[in-house]
Amino acid sequence: MLLEVRDIHVHYGKIAALKGVTLEVEEGEIVTLIGANGAGKTTTLKSISGLRPLTSGRIVFDGTDISKLQGHKRVLAGIGQAPEGRGIFPGMTVQENLLMGAYARKGTFREELDEVYELFPRLSERRTQFGGTMSGGEQQMLAIGRALMTNPKVLLLDEPSMGLAPMLVAQIFEIVREINQRGTTVLLVEQNAMQALQLAHRAYVLESGRVVKAADASGLLDDPEVRAAYLGGDLGVD
Amino acid sequence: MDNFLGQFGPATVGGLAIGSIYALVALGYTMVYGVLRLINFAHSEVFTIGGFAAVGVFLMVGVSAPVGGFALIGLLLLTVLVAMAASGGTALLLEQVAYRPLRKHGSSRLAALISAIGASLFLQELIKLVIIPHVFGQSNGAIQLQNMPRVIDKTPLFSIGNAPIRLDHVIIVVAAVIMMVLLDRLVNGTRVGRGIRATAQDPEAAVLMGVNIDKVVRTTFLLGGAMAGVAGVLYLLYFENLDYRVGFVVGIKAFTAAVLGGIGNLRGALLGGFVLGLVESWSSIFLGAEWSEVTAFVVLVLVLMFRPTGILGESLQRARA
Repeated sequence: MLLEVRDIHVHYGKIAALKGVTLEVEEGEIVTLIGANGAGKTTTLKSISGLRPLTSGRIVFDGTDISKLQGHKRVLAGIGQAPEGRGIFPGMTVQENLLMGAYARKGTFREELDEVYELFPRLSERRTQFGGTMSGGEQQMLAIGRALMTNPKVLLLDEPSMGLAPMLVAQIFEIVREINQRGTTVLLVEQNAMQALQLAHRAYVLESGRVVKAADASGLLDDPEVRAAYLGGDLGVD
Repeated sequence: MDNFLGQFGPATVGGLAIGSIYALVALGYTMVYGVLRLINFAHSEVFTIGGFAAVGVFLMVGVSAPVGGFALIGLLLLTVLVAMAASGGTALLLEQVAYRPLRKHGSSRLAALISAIGASLFLQELIKLVIIPHVFGQSNGAIQLQNMPRVIDKTPLFSIGNAPIRLDHVIIVVAAVIMMVLLDRLVNGTRVGRGIRATAQDPEAAVLMGVNIDKVVRTTFLLGGAMAGVAGVLYLLYFENLDYRVGFVVGIKAFTAAVLGGIGNLRGALLGGFVLGLVESWSSIFLGAEWSEVTAFVVLVLVLMFRPTGILGESLQRARA
């Protein structure tokens, strides 16, 4: 097991955001976490990356308990994240943003850079452009590319489809599949449940801070409850 | 008008000198603001400590007459290093004691601001009640360096137009520019600087890149403190007196300079410092020196009315720092 989240509780002040989330990610998988706004998807990813302290529960990564490990040290351990809202450094160029991904490591990163530019030719054309002046889709590519530059064992993606046109979403999801096929494990948080379930191997459904369903992604696509709640049900939307 | 033309040159030289000092102090305010969104009000006392450290060095070395040549260069280097260490150390301690515990508890920014004001008052009183009487053996609440021999000769070296230039003018402007260039190199050209810029632009994303925020914060306080320490030395060379409150006025002016240039923006702080120094100095030709503070703040209000984000109009979040 690459990543194990065991019954974690997280509070913002007195408000409980996570009330016992348990999930597992096997090496080589794409696992998706779906659920409505405020269900705790982003908080789960932030807790895994060490941006939010746990009230209780534990997180085991690659055989080590990292529950107490400081966030910046989890990056070197192999947890990379493209955060919600992309978190691009607006005053840095595309290339500087990508190199920030390699901040924790020593050495030169020519090969890794080339690999990211090969995955995202668009970024290659814009290496000297400032991050803050790019379109939403380009910023998302940059966020994913930057997370890849951390050389992650598991890549956490928080709503990569947010605010993007359908064509771009399809393109980004295709690249996520490609990244996974090259050997990186992916934990994907999405509101766009249909596409996420089509891409992922397994899925968890989160509802007000708890996991309410865990199953193979294809199984959830046919699950009537999931269809009704997250896939538009009979409304015929997407 | 003749009066103005006659005094314009000297006022410009004076304005550049005092502006350099404002700019150096302003860097500390703007860096800490950029990284923590905190106005470090105790930064003014960090500056004062630098001045007192310089007095200490002069007394220890036992300077009895103006020195020149290599002796002066050596003395100034030693003084600057000691002052940077004293001020940088004070700033680090301040962060550790007055700000970090609040940050770890997730307190509001208002709480941190109150803590800053408290730390500022504490340091002022510490200087007045402990450092001046016990370290320097004086009890009048002021160290008047006029009673001491001058460290540098203050006769004019040469003139530009009708403006006589003294050695202290040259030293102040040159030293300030060197420090600013070094800081700029550090922030824009090193790994440490990349960590600072990333934290200022998006702290959570910075953590996701493996940036140790606590270390960045410490470095920021240390750098800002060291700059203020250099400013303290330069202030002492220029005005040749020091009391426990000098930091207050200089601090407020430097903070004004930072806001004037665009708080959070390093180049803005420099620009703001020089603009403020020059405006103050020029206005005192017409209105007399006692009005210089009024004009300084009128300028601030006017600039903020038309450009609320300051002259350069961008914060460190957007700027290249």
